[in-house]
Amino acid sequence: MIGSGKQNSKLEKKIQVTRRGFLKTGAAAAAMGVLGAIQAPSKVAEAAVSNYGYIPGEKGLWSKLRPEPNYGGASVSYAEHNDQWLGTSQIVGTVKQTSEKNMGFAQAAQGNFGPKSQAGLFTLGPRYPINAGIGPAMAQIAGEAIVDGTPSPQKLPIPDPEQMSMHIKDLAYYLRADEVGIGKMPEFSYYSNKMNPPLIAIVAGAVPKGVPITETPFNERMPYVIMVAVEQHLETYLASTGYDGIANTQSFRCYHATANISVIIAGYIRALGYHARAHHFANYGAVMGPALISAGMGELTRTGDCVAHPRIGFRNKVAAITTDLPLVPDKPIDFGMLDFCRVCKKCADNCPAQAISFDKDPVEYNGYMRWNSDFKKCTQFRTGNDEGNCCGRCIKICPWNSKESSWFHEAGIWIGSKGEASASLLKKIDDMFGYGTETVEKYKWWLEWPELYKFDY
Amino acid sequence: MSIFLIFLAGILFLAGILFINPLVKKEVMWKTVLIWALYVVGSAVLWMGISFIYINASVGHAKATSTAIFLFGGIAIVIAIILARLLGFIGLKKLNKTDESVQA
Repeated sequence: MIGSGKQNSKLEKKIQVTRRGFLKTGAAAAAMGVLGAIQAPSKVAEAAVSNYGYIPGEKGLWSKLRPEPNYGGASVSYAEHNDQWLGTSQIVGTVKQTSEKNMGFAQAAQGNFGPKSQAGLFTLGPRYPINAGIGPAMAQIAGEAIVDGTPSPQKLPIPDPEQMSMHIKDLAYYLRADEVGIGKMPEFSYYSNKMNPPLIAIVAGAVPKGVPITETPFNERMPYVIMVAVEQHLETYLASTGYDGIANTQSFRCYHATANISVIIAGYIRALGYHARAHHFANYGAVMGPALISAGMGELTRTGDCVAHPRIGFRNKVAAITTDLPLVPDKPIDFGMLDFCRVCKKCADNCPAQAISFDKDPVEYNGYMRWNSDFKKCTQFRTGNDEGNCCGRCIKICPWNSKESSWFHEAGIWIGSKGEASASLLKKIDDMFGYGTETVEKYKWWLEWPELYKFDY
Repeated sequence: MSIFLIFLAGILFLAGILFINPLVKKEVMWKTVLIWALYVVGSAVLWMGISFIYINASVGHAKATSTAIFLFGGIAIVIAIILARLLGFIGLKKLNKTDESVQA
């Protein structure tokens, strides 16, 4: 019985092996068939990037993960990038590079905007506990050794820059960027000099008030810029006044997110054998506005230096990666923001510092046309706000910014991007429904620390 | 919820067509066209309004919700009254009653 049992089990094993083998053969044949069917049409393109398993996307795609750019219903056309126009911003003279030492916060740090503004800036981070957490985390990825570095000696061959552009955009989305664009890097976008100590050290309270601010020349020049944007939290803005405790955290949160994304992308590009430097809040080597416009990420607004994206307005923070990786730059865009800002003026009406211009048309500034906001007033209010932490009231108020995704907001944005008359209509509808100025208290999740907002100066 | 609302809108739109279809044909063409046009426009306004109110209320836009109730609701009610009068749901009975009393 025992012997016959063994014989039976041997027989069963033999049969099992045969079945498994049959199934394996069948599965392998099916898989080969499917792979062959999928890969056959892209044989030529695949040969160009062999050994990396990359399946090229169709020509003209924005990216594989997002085949078309999401402009949220706005009517978008392309604009020029030449010596007279950067998108819809007119260049009327020589645009000079600026030193980081001359920007608003740096001037406050030097005491140029008064003692309150100076003292406020040096305590800005520690005066709100969430920022006290984000600031040092951001500082960890601020050093030159991490934003920049030597590229790998082995260059990845890039026969098709369009595919590489798609690939980089997909990487940005994968790393949780909300928007990404690639542009030709305008030379005047680079800072002429970088300030020392860096702004993050001042804002995080890591250096004492009154520390001398010096500057060092910044000489990097790269042909392309990759811009990544992360949206500031919509519900939080709906619940905030825009200048309460959470205001600065809204920025810090996105600065931190974009800093991570930019540092990772720059590191990846260097690993592919090309130069790449990350520029983020804790270590900018460039002004972000012109680079954003160049990368097709928006137009200048009435606020003076904020660039609005068609879908998310300027309710976002950005970082950049400048690189010589072969890419195909996107074109600047026009969705009627200038016409809209010309008639709206809602940000100017609601600015608690009264810093935003009411001028009808842009005026000349440093060789280009823009609305000239009073950056001294703006900086003084943001650094000296002792009833909250900083300010983002214009971000909350702008009809282009504070909207959830819905068919009627898309329709509204479409209307608003059709010229001055329709922009005026959108603004009236926005006011009628109370968007922007309301505070929706059900989303107020954060803590207020009034005793921390006050400071001595 | 939004899927249910879309489904409900579609079903009620079709049911409305079946309901008013026997009453639509009038002696003059323009009245027939006007009734169908009002029915389509009224339905669109009503369901756009419901969608608008639902989304704004769920996000918490209080002013937008209340304004939309008056705006879309008001337009929908006005269209509904005109439509009801044209289809004979209101106004004609009164006339019939008057006729009856005269006969009596």
